[in-house]
Amino acid sequence: MENREGIPCVELRNVIKRFPGVTAVDHVSFKVEQGKIFSLLGPSGCGKTTTLRLVAGFETLDEGDVLIDNKVVNDIPAHKRNCSTVFQTLALFPHMTVEENIAYGLERRKFPKDEIKNRVGEALELMQLSGMGKRRPSQLSGGQRQRVALARSLVLRPRILLLDEPLASLDRKLRKEMQTEVRRIQQEVGITFLYVTHDQKEALNISDTIAVMAKGRLEQVGTPNEIYETPRTMFIADFMGATNIFLGKAIASGGREVQLESEDGLRVIALENKNIIRSREIVGISVHPERVDVLAENTDLEADNKFRGKIAEMSYQGDFTEMKICVDQVGRVITAHVSNEPDQKARFSLGERVLVCWGRHSSSILVG
Amino acid sequence: MNVSSMTNKILPTLSTLVYIFLWAPAIILVIFSFSNNRFGIKWEGFTLQWYFDVANTPAVRDALIKSLIIASVTVIVATIAGAVIAYGLYKYRFRGRGLLRSAILLPMVMPSVVTGGALLIFFTRALHIPLGYLSVIIAHITFSIPLAMFVILGRMQRIDWSLEEASMDLGADILTTLRKITVPLLLPALIASAALIFPWSFDDFIITYFVAGVGTTTLPIYIFSQLRFGATPVINTIGTIFIVLPIVGLLLMHFLQKKK
Repeated sequence: MENREGIPCVELRNVIKRFPGVTAVDHVSFKVEQGKIFSLLGPSGCGKTTTLRLVAGFETLDEGDVLIDNKVVNDIPAHKRNCSTVFQTLALFPHMTVEENIAYGLERRKFPKDEIKNRVGEALELMQLSGMGKRRPSQLSGGQRQRVALARSLVLRPRILLLDEPLASLDRKLRKEMQTEVRRIQQEVGITFLYVTHDQKEALNISDTIAVMAKGRLEQVGTPNEIYETPRTMFIADFMGATNIFLGKAIASGGREVQLESEDGLRVIALENKNIIRSREIVGISVHPERVDVLAENTDLEADNKFRGKIAEMSYQGDFTEMKICVDQVGRVITAHVSNEPDQKARFSLGERVLVCWGRHSSSILVG
Repeated sequence: MNVSSMTNKILPTLSTLVYIFLWAPAIILVIFSFSNNRFGIKWEGFTLQWYFDVANTPAVRDALIKSLIIASVTVIVATIAGAVIAYGLYKYRFRGRGLLRSAILLPMVMPSVVTGGALLIFFTRALHIPLGYLSVIIAHITFSIPLAMFVILGRMQRIDWSLEEASMDLGADILTTLRKITVPLLLPALIASAALIFPWSFDDFIITYFVAGVGTTTLPIYIFSQLRFGATPVINTIGTIFIVLPIVGLLLMHFLQKKK
């Protein structure tokens, strides 16, 4: 195989796609590395599926370039792009058996009969579907149908596999299993996956790189860890579940920390983040609820961020308890997730006065 | 007696009466087709004579064959044309699409006399097509296409169209996709439309009568012309055949489906 190192498998350069009355994809640029899982994450209507369809060739772009293996493919039709799509509805052909479904693409490419047979057999094995070949899609479970859809695309050994929310129709437990399965299969075949999802947990779980989209624009690209720990905009912080967002003005930013005075009058401290472009204005600080510590009111300790308040709400969630703490004087609510221990009776009760605190490392700076 | 036991008695009685009302004429017709009475209106002992008579009357055989040919051609042409138009109306967006889609109902609700009269004038004054089998077939296709479109559009609304995209994504061109995916998916609707059009065309009398001209005899027209000589047992016989045949067909389809 030729050396493709350093060349992105897929690249979008300033891509714009307009539909009547809306710009679905707005100046989007990103590079997808060879052999990785790259996720497009965002709420419905954010343009992620349109972006995927632009790469697949189902939509034509208005401006910019789509490159596959460093070649512009803007005018190349879908069936000549050497990528294959797994659809949200899976789109298994209901009138064909599992084998016929998987063989469909190979037959269109005029592969010899025995080669088709071999590849279909291999695919069935890889997907743990051996013995299911003669069944119709309607006779399979949700997870099995998923595997057939993956197999049908993977037998073609495409350069890129495009997946459009393929797990959306599964229940939670099965979805979790299939996420692991998707990762296993990707590592086994080594093909680049471009994965569209609206489920943050799914994206965090399976991706090497996540690109978060909102209103047609790319908000941030990074590793799952970066996206979760250091969301750059209010939208991402909120979308990734950092429910504590302090909007306000930076009053001091010297050395390795940023001090912010929030609109409701709280002073919040965060670590200076080298990833933040300095020219963009800091507009807020966010912190994930599980990073917030809840302590007895009289605890004596040093903390970057330390506030006193009263527990206004408590709800048991199994592995943790969600507490909403109303901060004295300003009345602002801080949410904390306190993990539950089996031998531990509830440490706090509703209405109790407590101390909430977290370190500067746990806060993330948000820019406009 | 409480209300529920009353409804328990009244409902079955009512239903039975309705069914008798629906089926009695047909049953009487079947019975009299075996009666040894020259006018077919009284029971005078069992006979198969009228069946032999029908089989040996060239005019009946001729009319039957003509009717079958007309219905077959109509089914094939109207179903294909209906499918093509429905596909275009469903898939392509253009001005007036909604209007055109609603308009397919119009020919179906138009009185047959109006359609028949309009076609007659159209054929004789505008197109100068001689009245005969050709004009009958064209007329039948005309009123059958909306029916085919109606059935096929209904099915199209329930199809997952990403299947077509998937097919192209896997490397099939448009023609292969139509042949391998779209047509098989539409097949139930194509069969349903054929099954609806065939009897419509086969027993249409009013429109056919308008455009048939002189000497063109389909089976319904033959039966009508026979009535002018009073009720004859031949009508009972033909009637019986056309009651029994579809029933056999329906039962056959039912069993085939069950076996599947």
